[in-house]
Amino acid sequence: MFGKAVNYELIWDFSVSGAVDERQRWILSAMQSYGQELVTMLWRILGNEQDVCDVYQNTFLQLAHYKSRQKPEHIKAYIFRVAGNAAVSMLRHRSAEKKRLSTAIVGRKAAISTANELDSKYLQETLRYHIAQLPGHLRDVIMLRDLAELSYAQVGGILGISAATARVYRCKAIQLLAVWMDKEREERE
Amino acid sequence: MISINKNKGTPFRKSQNGSSNKCRQIRAWLHNITSSRLGLDADWVQNHIVNCPRCHRRLVSVGKVNLALSVMKSQPHELDLLMRANTQAIGVLKHSLRGAPKAQKLRAMRPEPKLFERCSKYTHSVANVAACIAILLLMKIGIFSSMDKFQTKGQKVVEQYYVSQVGEDLADEVFSA
Repeated sequence: MFGKAVNYELIWDFSVSGAVDERQRWILSAMQSYGQELVTMLWRILGNEQDVCDVYQNTFLQLAHYKSRQKPEHIKAYIFRVAGNAAVSMLRHRSAEKKRLSTAIVGRKAAISTANELDSKYLQETLRYHIAQLPGHLRDVIMLRDLAELSYAQVGGILGISAATARVYRCKAIQLLAVWMDKEREERE
Repeated sequence: MISINKNKGTPFRKSQNGSSNKCRQIRAWLHNITSSRLGLDADWVQNHIVNCPRCHRRLVSVGKVNLALSVMKSQPHELDLLMRANTQAIGVLKHSLRGAPKAQKLRAMRPEPKLFERCSKYTHSVANVAACIAILLLMKIGIFSSMDKFQTKGQKVVEQYYVSQVGEDLADEVFSA
């Protein structure tokens, strides 16, 4: 009798988990729909393939565990914001680590001369560092508009602002980045 | 002509082709004027930038940010990055999801250009075909309208001949039947 009860419980558990799995198939659909755009954005933010894979994995893991495995209302917005935040955290961590290491190595500043100012790698690293320092609302717009190449309307939809506001935020972000990059150049000189 | 709908507050376009063309012309004219007088390419702006070191520096800095963004965008990643990212992400999902046929497909997925990008190479030939079709249509319309004109003109000439030869009453009788 007890054995039968255990069996029924197992069957019940199996059917419940099967139903849950069936309900979670949308995760794979989301991966199929937005995966490519997300990988492109993450690659541009991070510039390191292993980091891209880690953040991508973390994003979909969070999506799978969102509010006791519920489907978010706006999946695209959720995925892009989670991925963007995770990427920026990683970028900040990386730049802090680099700073810590560079202080230990004497003569770092001498290595960064005006000659390599136009070096593409150096330009990218500087821009990444400054993007990570931007205020959240400006950073989100720069990441979605310039790095994910979404339209202003899509950016506005994801961030819950109008397309015109997204335009203004982007303009402010570019100005701020320009000032910071200029300041860094002056400090070096 | 664009005017504001009082009920909805949204612009709507009137159906008259002439006025809409005029509006388009005015818009283009305004755009040209504002861009030539207020844009970065305007002479007075360029002169100012040359003489003002502060503006010059600002413009250079903004240019550098845009350059860095372009460089960032132009860097390609490995072709199998999407495949690897999908494989890694699927690896942490539930067992049943990992075994789903869609998951197998995602594990082998490679980046594909968007539909618009894929079609962009055919735009030239599509434009050519469209131009040919347009010319053919115009020719056809022109031929048919000319044939109609010939017919009506010919009928009028014959009618005139009958009027002059047999009189107006008889001619009317013949052509009204």
